[in-house]
Amino acid sequence: MIDTMVIFDLLLAVAVVALAVASMTTRDMFAAIVLFVVFGLLSALAWVRLSAPDVALAEAAIGTGVTGALLLRTLHHVQTVERKAAPEPLPVPMGVQIANAAFCGLLTLGLAAAFAGAPRGGPGFDLLVADAMSISGVDHPVTAVLLNFRAYDTLMEVVVLLAAVIAVWQIERGLSDAPAPALGEVWQGFARLTLPAIVVVGTYLLWVGSSAPGGAFQGGAVLAAVGLLLLLSRLYVPRPSHRGAARVAFVLGTGAFAAVALLVTGGGRMPFEYPLEHAKTLILLIEGLVTISIAVTLAALFHGREPVALPERAAGTGGRDDA
Amino acid sequence: MTSFLGGILVVLLASVLGGLVRVFRGPGAADRLMAAQLFGTAAVAMLLILSQVMAMPALLDVAMVFALLAAVTLVAFVALSARGRPQ
Repeated sequence: MIDTMVIFDLLLAVAVVALAVASMTTRDMFAAIVLFVVFGLLSALAWVRLSAPDVALAEAAIGTGVTGALLLRTLHHVQTVERKAAPEPLPVPMGVQIANAAFCGLLTLGLAAAFAGAPRGGPGFDLLVADAMSISGVDHPVTAVLLNFRAYDTLMEVVVLLAAVIAVWQIERGLSDAPAPALGEVWQGFARLTLPAIVVVGTYLLWVGSSAPGGAFQGGAVLAAVGLLLLLSRLYVPRPSHRGAARVAFVLGTGAFAAVALLVTGGGRMPFEYPLEHAKTLILLIEGLVTISIAVTLAALFHGREPVALPERAAGTGGRDDA
Repeated sequence: MTSFLGGILVVLLASVLGGLVRVFRGPGAADRLMAAQLFGTAAVAMLLILSQVMAMPALLDVAMVFALLAAVTLVAFVALSARGRPQ
């Protein structure tokens, strides 16, 4: 008898690939977004079957919470802007298409070369990490790699988010005067139950990261959902006076991460080489502040504009009924 | 037992694939999104079973995150379409 788990894995693999193709080829943009969300859901299951619960958790937190809402908001924005100004979208020039295809092809070739060149059947880095766990300060190997052994890479990931929000605030400015949507009684009950639960679960994921799958990115992405819901329901409306606090929150993670990395230097230690007796405290401190930064930054990226009062003439040109 | 749970997993995944018909055919945006919401529930069920089959208690956390955040997309849809409607 064929093992049912094999059938499940085969079905899952086929479904993930088919959904990826479908979400790229479908003409209806709304259907494409829904298909992409379903693709994220099934790829989280695929990560689980590959015994990578950390990645599955990140996919669940980012894919179900932030991505769907962000794509829907983008579609709404595009459609409102198109309805107002209605500039005919220019066809993409053939040269640009060819250049894009060539670049993607090169990237795929590079990945294939890296895959082919990787050592086969070896132990990988598992043993290296397992040997070094006692000096990492945490109990979970993934957190040890992300926050200690390869902390520089993680710092750069936080910098990417910071750069993204800086770019968005450079490009788009203005206050949103969208009316509060009438969400009704269901929303009242939903908000009362869910918002506190999201805060608790987000904080739990941050804390549990030192000994099990979890951590700053997962916790931050879950907490960002609170910001998304508050922005969507317009229970929170960004004002120009909030920019200072927002800027502090954006920089907090990167700043604290870099500061800790540099401050532990000296006495024969390199940057990022935490003293063992303080390693867990330092890692939790970094993760806590990075979580705040990630949550606030993702919510700000969803809002997508610097809240500045613009002169009347300029304010009319933006998508003002959008938030 | 694992084989039995695997069978349930296959049925749940098949129910998701069956629901995809609604995503493809619509006709309305709400129809497509409600189908996707249904998949969130199926995914939670699959994760709970997988946490048993694979002896991986951490998957319960993944299921919890799915259950909590599945409705965020739905709220975004409702709030944005309410906003887009002409007043």
